[in-house]
Amino acid sequence: MSASQFEPIPMMSSERQPATPASDESNPIRAAISEAIGEHKVILFMKGTPEAPACGFSARTVAMLQSLDAPFAAVDVLPDPRIRQELSAISSWPTIPQLFVDGELVGGCDIVTEMYESGELAQLL
Amino acid sequence: MPSAEDIRQRIEAAIPGASVEVEDYTGGGDHFSATVTAAAFAGLTRIQQHRLVYDVFGAEIGGPIHALALKTSPATGREHAASGDDEAATSIPTP
Repeated sequence: MSASQFEPIPMMSSERQPATPASDESNPIRAAISEAIGEHKVILFMKGTPEAPACGFSARTVAMLQSLDAPFAAVDVLPDPRIRQELSAISSWPTIPQLFVDGELVGGCDIVTEMYESGELAQLL
Repeated sequence: MPSAEDIRQRIEAAIPGASVEVEDYTGGGDHFSATVTAAAFAGLTRIQQHRLVYDVFGAEIGGPIHALALKTSPATGREHAASGDDEAATSIPTP
């Protein structure tokens, strides 16, 4: 609801369309993902948006972050399957959601849940 | 379509000594949750522990296996992971 809670990041602007599904070097989507991870202290790659999550695991992860009043950037991976492909290639993590803090993969819903319950997540944020 | 038993056997085969419980929580053969306890996890971060399990299935995760929820713990003798389910269900805020 509140715009200050998250910041949607479009990955689909027209200049980011690669002509071919490319190699590491010339890959605008991969570059955009890496840039977003580097620029935001807390960034969540999810299915859907924080207001309208499209998956229960993404919804739970958003709810945990919001309950800690943690500001976070959010990227919807659903508009283009390449976002998910490139993200998983970068992170070596097969599932969505994926939470990054300070440029490091923290984990998916299961790990975030364990850290939420133990208080580690609140500390990290 | 894999069964919970298939998933369990594959994890146990890939991670020697692992104790594995798997539930097909929708009954549809594509959403599973697994609790894995293994000495091989000792000294690894949670991320590394989960990767060991995900790696068993490779590209099947996100393909035929839509979801594989994981709880992992090193075999310490303390049944920490196995007792956490009920707490998890009540302490997570619902959106």
